[in-house]
Amino acid sequence: MLKKVRITTQVVFFLLFLWLFWETRSKGGDELAYPVKIFLDADPLIFILTSLASMRIDGFPYLVIPVILLTLFLGRVFCGWVCPLGTLHNFVGIFNKIKVAYRPVGWYWLKYALLFFLAVAALFSLNLSGIFDPLSLIIRSFAVSIYPALVNTMRSFFGSAGLGGVASEPRLFFRESVLIGAFFFLILSLNLLERRFWCRYLCPLGALLGLLSRYSFLRREISEGCNACGRCEVLCQGGRMKTECLACGDCDDACAKRSIHFLFGRPVEGVEIDLGRRRIVGAVTAGIIVPPVLKLSPVGNPASVDERLIRPPGALEEREFVKRCIKCGECMKVCITNGLQPTFLEGGVVGIWTPILVPRIGYCEYRCTLCGQVCPTGAIRRLNLEEKKRTKIGVAVIDRGKCLPYAYGIPCIVCEEVCPTPKKAIWLEVTELNLRDGKKVILKRPHVDPHLCVGCGICEAKCPILGSPAIYVISTGESRSKERQFLLDS
Amino acid sequence: MKHKEVTRREFIQLTLSSSVAFTLGGLFQAMPMGADEGQRPDLVVARGPSPTRITRAAIDGLGGMKRFISRGDVVVVKPNIGWDRTPEYAANSNPQVVAAIVAMCYEAGAKKVKVFDHTVANPQRCYTQSGIAEAVTAVGGEVSYINEKKFREVKLPGYGIKSWPLYGEIFEVDKIINVPIAKTHGLTKLTLGIKNWMGVMGGWRGRIHQRIDGSLIDLALTIRPTLIVLDAVRILEANGPQGGDLSDVKTLNTVVVGTDQVAVDAYGATLFGLAGGDIGYIRLGHEVGLGTMDLKKLKIKHLQI
Repeated sequence: MLKKVRITTQVVFFLLFLWLFWETRSKGGDELAYPVKIFLDADPLIFILTSLASMRIDGFPYLVIPVILLTLFLGRVFCGWVCPLGTLHNFVGIFNKIKVAYRPVGWYWLKYALLFFLAVAALFSLNLSGIFDPLSLIIRSFAVSIYPALVNTMRSFFGSAGLGGVASEPRLFFRESVLIGAFFFLILSLNLLERRFWCRYLCPLGALLGLLSRYSFLRREISEGCNACGRCEVLCQGGRMKTECLACGDCDDACAKRSIHFLFGRPVEGVEIDLGRRRIVGAVTAGIIVPPVLKLSPVGNPASVDERLIRPPGALEEREFVKRCIKCGECMKVCITNGLQPTFLEGGVVGIWTPILVPRIGYCEYRCTLCGQVCPTGAIRRLNLEEKKRTKIGVAVIDRGKCLPYAYGIPCIVCEEVCPTPKKAIWLEVTELNLRDGKKVILKRPHVDPHLCVGCGICEAKCPILGSPAIYVISTGESRSKERQFLLDS
Repeated sequence: MKHKEVTRREFIQLTLSSSVAFTLGGLFQAMPMGADEGQRPDLVVARGPSPTRITRAAIDGLGGMKRFISRGDVVVVKPNIGWDRTPEYAANSNPQVVAAIVAMCYEAGAKKVKVFDHTVANPQRCYTQSGIAEAVTAVGGEVSYINEKKFREVKLPGYGIKSWPLYGEIFEVDKIINVPIAKTHGLTKLTLGIKNWMGVMGGWRGRIHQRIDGSLIDLALTIRPTLIVLDAVRILEANGPQGGDLSDVKTLNTVVVGTDQVAVDAYGATLFGLAGGDIGYIRLGHEVGLGTMDLKKLKIKHLQI
């Protein structure tokens, strides 16, 4: 009975999750119709670690508090009943045929060690929570790997039939999609080693909720009818310890003697997990050592930042940005031009999988503010339209060795035509060129006005010189950084 | 077989008599129209505060939509929806003008009216922000986004380009109505009706700027619209074709309607204080016989609504 209710709840939450993911898209309006990021908003791990790392609380955590209260009272119900990644693991686990002689490896300490490492690193202002947070992980994997693969496949099958839905979406391209997808499949395949391997031994959110559930009121009791057949232990999705129980009800369902009961009561001391003092000391030490080492990257030096590290409009100053960004990929999913991509090492190791604008794939639409609307941590600020128009994410640079009118004496004004600022940041100089045969040709040659250019990159996106273009954006002069200005009067 | 057998003789008789009847009928029908032809204007320019009413009046002044659209026709109405701008910025065709045309097509008996454009900026935003998707859907038009798979390579006359992938739907319909907006442009000075055909091009169409006038005339010679409605309700006088500054927008409350692509554009040029001959593609269109830019030789009817 409990199991059936639990499965129904899981399905409902999973469908809600999928629907919100699907709705993380533009329909052409200025605002999204639905609160698509509520799963991330409810995540205590993201909230606590991001607040710790940035020493700032970004809005009141309306949805985190219910999850914490739920866990304090009922234990890891979130893991067993709500978490979409947990549900997916639960599903994949079906394919692991359980053997009678099965015994869990019992590395429960591992996820607590990971949690301690992440928490200490966050105290030293390094926020790696998003890499391992289950919600961030599933959204990122869906956004840049699973969903694009689905869209592109559906398109090639049904695209010409003009069917609606996924098949009518534009083709998507993502860097890092293979790496992120492989990480995701690796984690899913661990279920074949042991069901819910991730949830039991790796998930740092599970660890946090485990700590919170230690004194919860929901108790699992075994009455005297138990004949120690061991069936419940084989089917158990978490562990017999209170901090590991997901309240999934599988044991209750499986018990032939009906001797397992879930009931409320005064918290009692259950079986404790031995985290191991040395392991915890090791995790804490790593949390202290790793942040300063990772921050040795030249990104910290304003002069040596990778000029192609173009952040979405509204992104905080780089150091603050990486403290808050959890690499969830919401902004990449919602970006209407497909331009927001996972960063590889342009921002140093700490910046891996944070969003970067790659204008050759997609530019930043001048009047669009969706990335700031979906960002769950405020790493990308929510901008209004006027703020957005003032926000410079970089500046365009012309490569005269490639630009048609400069290099070859051939007319072209594409960059000027598409430039979206009210007074165009690209202006055309009319020049006369003497060709080798004595003929004269009148040419319009583009120039960039760096005061007007916002670095949106539509010029780069549409430049007819394919490959590395004749006009491209560099992040130098981006308005989020005081240190990276190059104009005297900016 | 229960059908009545038709002998060869009967068949020939039937065929001949019916074709005679059709021809005569056609003559009779054509006669009063022929008498009307002398007064029928080449261009109608309607001015007035309501975009819907001036559009309707202008088309009526040209003989009514029934002159152009037959019962059962599938029609493409091709506005300019190229940019992520709201109507007051005059970067996209006026939504009320477009919707009025779609509604008139249905009133004339069209089976289906399709509206699309290969936008430059993000299509969802362009269709929504321009107000065109909503206005057209409200009057029953079929709005669709460009499907990359529907482009097909089309041979062109070769004044600028010999062949290019063009949007297949434009060749699968009975009638095409071009609904451009009058704006400035960095290379061609103005973008009017003929320039609006860039919106059915696929591929890296930005390349045609290397031989822009010839390429546009190639498209205009190939696509051949039934009717052109130039939207000059608001025109963009600087920073075109995308605009973004309201001080560059001038309200003229005008539409120009005609069947000659060159003539409509030549009249459009006068709205900016230019002559048709000042614009490369209009001049070339005149020279190759696509139409005439000689406005003095045209009968232009002005309406104030």
